[in-house]
Amino acid sequence: MNDLIALILGSGTPLVYAAMAGVLAQRAGIWHLGLEGLMIAGACAAVLVTSAAGSLLAGLGVAIAVCVLGSALLWVVIEKLKANPIIAGLGLTGLGLGGTDLAVQAVFDSEATVRSEIGLPRLGAAFGPYAHLSVLVLAMPVVVFALWVLLRRTRFGLQLAACGEHPFAARSVGVSPPRMRLVALLLGGVLCALAGAELALGSLQLFSVGMTAGRGFMAFAAVIFGAGHPVGAAFAALFFSVVEALGIKAQLLLGNALPPDLLLALPYAATVAGVWLSGRLRGGGQSSGAFAELRDY
Amino acid sequence: MSGSLFAVARALAFVLLALVLCGAIFELAGYSSLSMFQNIAEGAFASPEALLNSLGWALPLFVIAAGVVVSFRCGYFNVGAQGQFYIGAIGSAFAVEWLNGAPAFIVIPAAILAGMAAGLLWAAWPGLLRIRSGTDEVITTLMANFIAGLVLIYVTSGPLKDPSGTGQVTASRPIAALYRISDSGGVSPAIIGLVVVSGVLIWVLVNRTAFGVLSSLAGRNPVMVGWQGGRLARLGLAGFLVSGAFAGLAGAIELLGPQGRLVSGFLPAEGFTAILIALVAGLSVTGVAVVSLFFGGLAAASLYLPVIAGLPAAAIDIINAAIALFITARAWPRGLGLRRVRRAP
Repeated sequence: MNDLIALILGSGTPLVYAAMAGVLAQRAGIWHLGLEGLMIAGACAAVLVTSAAGSLLAGLGVAIAVCVLGSALLWVVIEKLKANPIIAGLGLTGLGLGGTDLAVQAVFDSEATVRSEIGLPRLGAAFGPYAHLSVLVLAMPVVVFALWVLLRRTRFGLQLAACGEHPFAARSVGVSPPRMRLVALLLGGVLCALAGAELALGSLQLFSVGMTAGRGFMAFAAVIFGAGHPVGAAFAALFFSVVEALGIKAQLLLGNALPPDLLLALPYAATVAGVWLSGRLRGGGQSSGAFAELRDY
Repeated sequence: MSGSLFAVARALAFVLLALVLCGAIFELAGYSSLSMFQNIAEGAFASPEALLNSLGWALPLFVIAAGVVVSFRCGYFNVGAQGQFYIGAIGSAFAVEWLNGAPAFIVIPAAILAGMAAGLLWAAWPGLLRIRSGTDEVITTLMANFIAGLVLIYVTSGPLKDPSGTGQVTASRPIAALYRISDSGGVSPAIIGLVVVSGVLIWVLVNRTAFGVLSSLAGRNPVMVGWQGGRLARLGLAGFLVSGAFAGLAGAIELLGPQGRLVSGFLPAEGFTAILIALVAGLSVTGVAVVSLFFGGLAAASLYLPVIAGLPAAAIDIINAAIALFITARAWPRGLGLRRVRRAP
């Protein structure tokens, strides 16, 4: 049981961090589909710099810088050039996936995986079966709680929600929606960098091309499933990784009774089910017109 | 007319901006952006063989993109072209497998229809979830792409596995030469005929039918559709099904034509590129015909780069992604598109 929980926490933590970035953007009124690209950029930068410089701090710093830059680019494209946020987000994701591929090839020629000797600090023997988890796993509930406080208990959080739900109202009290969105996206960039660092330097200590495998999109789905609430999104993200862990367990238990490739599809199917459920709960379907409005901030 | 000229100029300007960003990324990664672009142009358009090769890549892209145009015009973001393309190819491969031995004039049409039906079904469930329960179609179709990729791995390593195959990439048994509709170049009268027929069909559907008028209205102002007596949900679902069917058709063409067999993870960027083509063309079918030639060239160069020039093929992915990042920047032609419906405050 303990090792199952450790497995879920290990694979769920990057999802939770990315989902928190998605929550920030969602509250500001941006559907953040660039999470996947930012996450892999963060993972790649963290591993490449950490293994090259031999310093974890440098790796984390560069990862955060890269993700914040990517977020700023997304903001310019959405707010200044008035691009469609969904397509621009997908473009950013493609840029992250292609850019990391190029970067790995530029440094290591044709190798598809890069290993790092240094990983994130571990919890240590005091935690028993959880010893191999990184400190970012322990920090995860703290970050979720901090985000909840920020979004639900501060003036900033209220202003951010106003920018997302009714920009005109926000403007009328002197809050600039574009500026609030910039803050939300940049903060989200930092969280995405942590998500990528946890994914690559957490338990694996390696980067491979395309290693996010849709986790950024799952994090975005967790935001929708969790109704844009930090705690809800965190639980939704953990739910997806529970399904993933159960799929792995089922594979170990059943052997080849079920095709392993189809078991790998479980988390994706769970994501669809979660988003379907949240759509049902909100009584969607009939109100397509209102939905179109919601879609384009 | 000057409006659409303006839209073309704007699209070109943003493509240029995207290329500048790509150049910066290439330089950062330590490659000479000049030689990179030069090699891409050589791989795509420099010789008659390269041009023919680019055309071979452009034909299936055109079919998928023309289908995508229909669903995007309805205001539904069907970004699942990749999955529908894969499932179409798989359906087509099963049809060939089951009918193996029958004369070609039965097998080939059956395989093509099976591909279209499979693509249509793979688009149907996200479409139904969207109109029945309001499930966001962007997420469901993205997830459907991942699931389709896994189904392809399952099919090529299970039911249709080539027993003689070795190595890491799994593949199905090759299709008999009798049932192929082109060689590996992908240009043949049969394929060109299929592509032209589907292009004309979609052009008529979009420009000369009530469905076309109502669907482009649905993309702009969903409320108006109800007032005009149309049903938004039905319109959106029809758009989904049409785009799925044509993505499936492209899958069948790839299978019976250039590929000749199912390979796990083949053409992983096809769907995304097709969506990009539809957007760059401003959701016009004639525009798609021109733009798909350009992106077909880029796709052809993605094979040329690593083999001939020794440069990474990821460069093409970066160019595509950068164009995606910028292309919707007010690139929607006036009055057509996904602009916010303003509500009185």
